Amino acid sequence: MRHFKGLAYPYVAWSFALIALPLLLIVLYAVTSGDNSLITIHFTLDNFRKIGDPVYMNVFAKSLEIGLIVTLICLVMAYPLAYIISWFNDEIQSILILVVTIPMWINTLLRTYAWVSLLSDNGLISQLLGIVGIHAPAMMYTNFAVIIGLVCDLLPFMVIPIHTSLTKMDYSLVEAAKDLGANNFQTFRKVILKLSLPGVINGVTLVFLCSISSFVVPVLLGGRQYMLIGNLIEQQFISIGDWNFGSAISVLLAIAILIVMSLMRRIDPDEKGEK
Amino acid sequence: MRLKKISLGPKLYIAVCFLFFYLPIAVTMFFSFNSSKSLTHFTGFSLHWYEKLLTDQNILAAVYVSISIAIFATIISTILGTITAIGLSKSRKVLKEWILNVNNIPIMNPDIVTAISLMILFTSARLERGYITMLLAHIAFCTPFVITSVYPKVRSMDHNLADVAMDLGATPFQALTKVIVPLLRPGIFAGMLLAFTMSLDDFVVSYFVTGNGVANISIIVYNMTKRINPTINALSTLLILAVVIVLVGVNLWPAIKAKRRGNPKYQAVTKRKSKKLVPILAGICIIAVGITCVTQFSAISSKQVLRVFNSGEYIDMDLIAQFEDEYDCQVVYETFDSNESMYTKLQSGATYDILVPSDYMIERLIEEDYLKKIDWKQITHKDDIIPSLMENNEFDPKNEYTVPYYWGTVGILYDTNVVDEEDLAQGWEILRNPKYKGDLYMYDSERDSFMIALKTLGYSMNTTNKKELLEAYDWLIQQRETMDPVYVGDDVMDNMISGNKALAVVYSGDGTYVIDENEDMSFFVPEQGSNVWTDGMVVTKDCNNMELACQFMDFFLDKEVAIQNTEYIGYDSAVQSVYDYYREGDYAGNPGCGPDTSNPLNEVFRNQPQKIKAFTANLWTKIKSHK
Repeated sequence: MRHFKGLAYPYVAWSFALIALPLLLIVLYAVTSGDNSLITIHFTLDNFRKIGDPVYMNVFAKSLEIGLIVTLICLVMAYPLAYIISWFNDEIQSILILVVTIPMWINTLLRTYAWVSLLSDNGLISQLLGIVGIHAPAMMYTNFAVIIGLVCDLLPFMVIPIHTSLTKMDYSLVEAAKDLGANNFQTFRKVILKLSLPGVINGVTLVFLCSISSFVVPVLLGGRQYMLIGNLIEQQFISIGDWNFGSAISVLLAIAILIVMSLMRRIDPDEKGEK
Repeated sequence: MRLKKISLGPKLYIAVCFLFFYLPIAVTMFFSFNSSKSLTHFTGFSLHWYEKLLTDQNILAAVYVSISIAIFATIISTILGTITAIGLSKSRKVLKEWILNVNNIPIMNPDIVTAISLMILFTSARLERGYITMLLAHIAFCTPFVITSVYPKVRSMDHNLADVAMDLGATPFQALTKVIVPLLRPGIFAGMLLAFTMSLDDFVVSYFVTGNGVANISIIVYNMTKRINPTINALSTLLILAVVIVLVGVNLWPAIKAKRRGNPKYQAVTKRKSKKLVPILAGICIIAVGITCVTQFSAISSKQVLRVFNSGEYIDMDLIAQFEDEYDCQVVYETFDSNESMYTKLQSGATYDILVPSDYMIERLIEEDYLKKIDWKQITHKDDIIPSLMENNEFDPKNEYTVPYYWGTVGILYDTNVVDEEDLAQGWEILRNPKYKGDLYMYDSERDSFMIALKTLGYSMNTTNKKELLEAYDWLIQQRETMDPVYVGDDVMDNMISGNKALAVVYSGDGTYVIDENEDMSFFVPEQGSNVWTDGMVVTKDCNNMELACQFMDFFLDKEVAIQNTEYIGYDSAVQSVYDYYREGDYAGNPGCGPDTSNPLNEVFRNQPQKIKAFTANLWTKIKSHK
């Protein structure tokens, strides 16, 4: 295997040029001010100080809240789904997983638009409820709409890693547990759940990250006054034109996420097993 | 795998989950066959939207861009990611840490940050933006996903197998392709699938790094959202059918064949065959894409090119095709969603020949030396432009840069069944009338929102007095707290056509459009004064073909063309003869048509000093983020 050590080198160069360098540019913007030209560069920490304003802290808090809710719902929905799918024989499993993946191939924007027509005040759902005689509350432009949109969008990201780790699990361990007298619940809790933990962690991380930084779904289903971090950043870059402040928020977000990631890694038994 | 019988409960659960996944898609598919534009009422079966889709060159081009980029990005990132993951497992710790950490950045960073950072990078590297930059960006964000799905497999693989192969005489390359890659297949496959999905689905990154009219499906969809467009439903129906047929076909074909023969050995054979099928299919795809690439580029190079950057849904695309035919040229057409985003794009180094911004933005572009003076001798329809739009323009005093395109005001659209006529006397203050709490849309525009507050308070909307701006800020904050308004973009039109809320701040032309579709709506411009705006066509410093640019602008001033264009857009044309045509014709008396600019309190937006711009921008961010 040592022969293949060199294979990683091209990517070192690539990742520097297309990942690290652009990020350094963002950091540069975050600690400078002025009219975004390199000639009149001026270092400052004002951009970070500005984030301390309670208004922006609220945006952070709200993103965190939405991210946690979406992740939790996804996890609660996805785990049983992935688990049940793994009961079927291989052929049916691959079809079921396919059915989970297909929506991801349909454009997110298109899918989100479909929710707009379902959830809007005179939309299909409220009309259907109206026929039954229930007066539906406004769903569009609320937390509810944003959460539904995000869950629908991100659920596959949770199902697939969990399913992967469930299928690659060594099934003889489950049999051993049963042979040793564990009941179904015990086997599930002590063996299956533990062995699928890497998938759960992967899924949770992916869904959480995507949901706290999303901006298209909140714009379409929450309205433009619905501010999550992603929207705040987008607004700074696109409509306000304050790239420095936008970069500062991005940097802060990236740091926060780094911390979360390293915490997640600590729980991941795969990482511990290394070496 | 494990249980012999799966009971009904779990099966039901799967069904419910799938229903949730597919409900929106099913609705989209269902309404793609609708004969009308509505997304809630099925008025009859029709294939009308499919017909429209198949004749729409822009959509077809976008489908091609999306799919070809997805294929290329997937192939390249899969190879790059796989070899990296293999190399990584034996690399030194420092290197491994570096790659794994750097690798996490695109995965964990918000798309928008990745997008902006790549945009800045491409700008500083002076790469011309278009297909290539989009492809590079896609590879950049796809590869990390491949690495993260392959790397765990490399780690859990038995490393001795490769060594054994080489001990037995295999070359390292053979060991790689015959032993290691097959062992990693599930991981590679998962990574490939992820990469393809990510690339096909991407909006944000593509939107920022593209240029020169190269657009993928997401960008087209985003630009089409200004008005309900069931063509998009038809498109997604076709896309999903294609995906389902291909995937299900590839997965089921061997099984079906085997069943037919009833021979388990045969199954093994076909399975091996189908493995070969994948590279063959991929090869065909690459060749097809390559050929279309070549033909496309050769078609481009032979003609004069004009790059136009306009607001979304702000031109009748048929007219562009007509212009291309008449002048034997190619128009590279791109759209933006606000003056500010147009400016961002320019600032980041994108180049165009013609822009269509609003008054204050034109003033800014003149001040910052982005524009070229127009050769008025070549504008033969100059005398047919409404004189008032050509004189006293504070944003372009000598009228050297601007060919007026459309103009209008800002006002309030209201549902006559819900809103009390008497309340209209309140003017803008009706937007803070508690009677309509939760029943109004504000327009997501910094300048127009401040305009409303400033006008209500009796100030100029171009004020540079910070105290007045702060008062306006308080007005808007108070409105957010008491009225629960929803800030919307162009989706305001669809919402008002469906009668979802009672009040909305809209541009006069949008008002006309909504009233046309929904008779219950009416439009008024408050007495306190409003914004009278002009959008104009301007020529940038990057334009090398002034003649063609002038021909283009002149073309859209032609009466026949302008009427057709106005029919499509619904705003008020800057052409006098068109204006007269509508004033005398069917539209006479339509409140949204022919903006009433007689109110002395009306104003035109001016470009503001940088300090005030930053000051208001900061307040605006706070208003939007207020909870």
